[in-house]
Amino acid sequence: MSILSSAGDPKRTAVTRATEASATALPVTLNERSLIGMALIRMFVGYLWFQQLFWKLPPTFAGLYTYVVRESQHAILPGYGALLQHTFLAGCTSLSSPVGCTAFVPLAACVWTAELLVALTLLFGLFTRFGALLATILALQLYVGLAYTEWIWTYGMLVLLALVLVAVPSGRRLGVDLWLAPRLQAARQRHRIARIASWFV
Amino acid sequence: MLQSLRRGLLAGLLAGLVLATFDFVTDGAPGNGFPSVFHWFGIHPANSTISHYGGFFLLIVLAGVFGLFFGALQRETPVSASRALLWGLGLGLLWWLLFELTLTNVTNHASSPFGLSLGSFLSSFPLDLLFGVLLGAIYIQLQERQAPDVS
Repeated sequence: MSILSSAGDPKRTAVTRATEASATALPVTLNERSLIGMALIRMFVGYLWFQQLFWKLPPTFAGLYTYVVRESQHAILPGYGALLQHTFLAGCTSLSSPVGCTAFVPLAACVWTAELLVALTLLFGLFTRFGALLATILALQLYVGLAYTEWIWTYGMLVLLALVLVAVPSGRRLGVDLWLAPRLQAARQRHRIARIASWFV
Repeated sequence: MLQSLRRGLLAGLLAGLVLATFDFVTDGAPGNGFPSVFHWFGIHPANSTISHYGGFFLLIVLAGVFGLFFGALQRETPVSASRALLWGLGLGLLWWLLFELTLTNVTNHASSPFGLSLGSFLSSFPLDLLFGVLLGAIYIQLQERQAPDVS
């Protein structure tokens, strides 16, 4: 059926009208209560990340080791296990403790610092979307490495939660972004750094 | 003045409630941090139920007192967001210094009232600062909500 022959078709006209209607869909505005609710969710997700810092404390980060070993054995992406073997687990001689590892401590320190950053940004609502983006990356990494070793949705939900906090600027209520956002908004025309920083609040 | 006291009290109680709620989702048995609120004052209730429920309410009451103090310090009307957040951070720091550092060490008979390990610093300091930030942020929200009534 050609386009011309369908021009007078009532069914097609109805579809076109529906498309036009959806193009002018009502904008969605979150009210204050919803924003406060999102801010509370943000804080609890931040607390979730905060709590996970304590079983892998510096200077040894020993708690992390067995998880990295598990990731290297059960990763769902081909090649990811080998990547871990040649970075985090390079030189390691034991499956239960980081004996002989050459790069484990510095790389684990990076992971721990990233998780601390996620916890602080989400708890305090300070550059919240940056923290949520970092949380998404960390949670995705956990999903790739550990999804099949636990309930498959465990890390999937963590990814989805983080993505919600990337989408909604939840730090602008009950957070430091409340103070930061209008200042960055005002400065974004003059300073490039302010323009980039304003994406993350 | 009365209005800023009332606002401060409500902000303190709500910020305290958030702080207390965190204890329900802490690893291990939920609510295990509440008895330590009694321990700050040298009280060790024998009954576990009393120490848990009492600690929960005492924490919120203490947060309310800090909120009242916060409200009493706000003479400028309306208070700017930067001022509220800074004062909140200051009171969060005071909370940490007073309760989590000094009183905890004194009641545990530690060798120094300011002794601290990385673990105990990390588990208390950010959360107490968060209490302060929440105090300031909730105060600002309440002020903005009540602003149309004033004008």
